[in-house]
Amino acid sequence: MKLVWKLLRQHISIPQFTGFFLANLIGMTIILLGIQFYNDTQAIYNGEDSFMKADYMIINKKVGVLSSITGGNNAFTKGEIEDINGQPFVERVGAFTPSSFGVRASFAMNGLANMSTDMFFESVPNDFIDVAREKWHYAVGDNELPIILPKNYLDLYNFGYAQSRSLPKVSEGILGAIKLQIRITGNGHNDEYVGRIVGFSSRLNTILVPEDFMKWANGYYSDAARTKNATRIILELNNPADDRITTFVQDNNYETDKSKLDASKTTYILRVVVAIVMSVGVLICILSLYILMLSVFLLVQKNSSKLENLLLIGYSPAKVSLPYQLMSVGLNVLVFILAVALLLVARSLYLTLFESFFPDFVEPSILPSLIIGVILLIIVSVLNMIAVRQKVMAIWNKK
Amino acid sequence: MVFMQRTDIQSDIWKQDVTFEKEKLYLIEANSGTGKSSLCSFIYGYRNDYLGNILFDTDDIHSYNISKWTDMRKRHIALLWQELRLFPELTAMENVMIKNKLTGFQKKTVINSWFEQLGIDDKKDAKIGQMSYGQQQRVALIRTLCQPFDFVFADEPISHLDDQNAAIMGQILTDEAKRQGAGVITTSIGKHIQLNYDKTFKL
Repeated sequence: MKLVWKLLRQHISIPQFTGFFLANLIGMTIILLGIQFYNDTQAIYNGEDSFMKADYMIINKKVGVLSSITGGNNAFTKGEIEDINGQPFVERVGAFTPSSFGVRASFAMNGLANMSTDMFFESVPNDFIDVAREKWHYAVGDNELPIILPKNYLDLYNFGYAQSRSLPKVSEGILGAIKLQIRITGNGHNDEYVGRIVGFSSRLNTILVPEDFMKWANGYYSDAARTKNATRIILELNNPADDRITTFVQDNNYETDKSKLDASKTTYILRVVVAIVMSVGVLICILSLYILMLSVFLLVQKNSSKLENLLLIGYSPAKVSLPYQLMSVGLNVLVFILAVALLLVARSLYLTLFESFFPDFVEPSILPSLIIGVILLIIVSVLNMIAVRQKVMAIWNKK
Repeated sequence: MVFMQRTDIQSDIWKQDVTFEKEKLYLIEANSGTGKSSLCSFIYGYRNDYLGNILFDTDDIHSYNISKWTDMRKRHIALLWQELRLFPELTAMENVMIKNKLTGFQKKTVINSWFEQLGIDDKKDAKIGQMSYGQQQRVALIRTLCQPFDFVFADEPISHLDDQNAAIMGQILTDEAKRQGAGVITTSIGKHIQLNYDKTFKL
């Protein structure tokens, strides 16, 4: 085999193979980086508001001057909810249920701060919340109450209150460990609960408790007559970039959390951009594969008399093809390894940035990109092997 | 058997049924252009532009596939090409070893002794491209014998050799064929190895 290689490596063109090597390396790196970057950014979009699934939107009626004066109702009627549910872009509708009882919450942190405030609860159907079921659960009689807080509250404390009093800042993780004292009053009852923060929402500006608790508490702490209709509605959308959504919201004089829609649109645009970048990568890969094929063909052509003589002294076509096949596959493997190395370097650069923007960013695995890389590697290698074999067979059949 | 595009042939082989047997010595004499090398190529499976049938025992070689041909060339038929088909980039010894490593047939000592007998012992590590045609013919012979065979074909093996070297070559060729119980078929356009031929064909 050593002798065969010594023979067949004649006429190998270093510039051609360097050209292939670089082109394939660039293509492969772009593809891998594209996939990885998309995965990583998805983790940000999903991670920031993990309990709110991707394509949701919240709408409410506009509070106008007239309704303030007349005390007009901002609640959605049954007919309106059905109308919304019938829209083609809506998958599901869930109503926010407001609490109709008094809530007072306080929390203490080793005596550093002692905040106490009147507040309210709302709930949405459990399906709309992406927190693990065992965390987002309330059974009547439980003393512990899971709560989702708006991210704003945390910012208010960290950048307002703590700043002004030189108190330590707290992260979501630390706050999650803190128990809130919650006093609920109404309908002649007065009970104490322990609130446990299971998540923070930056888009959902309300204090959420499980719907099970809300249903029971609204009956227990207030008279049924006072139970109100929903003033806010959560929608699951099948395509957040749908134009009809904006039109519908405007026509009915509703309001929506624009940022949520914008984020969805950003995700969509990001997806398109990544797809474009990746197709460029794929194109470069195909072109580089073409270069490799041409180089190998040229090599086989230049060495055709040697290959023929090897076949004539008893070497099988498989044995004669093997050196060039190994060479192409070796090059491909080398390209793959280098591309992964480049991917890791590039990723560490942008991950530092991500982590400074989003402290709670959890690094997704690089496994999906690696798997796709390996699949590409196999496809390209198999194509190379088939091409070499066919060229050798052409020499065999020349007779 | 006959060339596809020729009809006016007077020959002991073309348009005849000919049988070669193992353990016998054959000489095919011919003028150039009458198809010695073509005959070798046909039998070796390198060309198939002929009419008729070539049978090994009872197998028609038309039916041989790639692996069968590879096996034939590795173990059953040895051919010393008129154009030698050596690799000019490799040394004499490398040219021999590229075959012997494939078959693993001849011992290194045997190969060395052939190099000595043929007087090219000092050329083992010389590149083929730098050797004379006569020297190359001797290297090609050694390479041809580095495999088991039932028949060995030598296509004008001594065209560039002096009588003494031709005799040594004939000796090595027939000794190895006898050892393997194989048939020998040599061709010539005039000058041929002086051997005790069982049969001579006029092509």
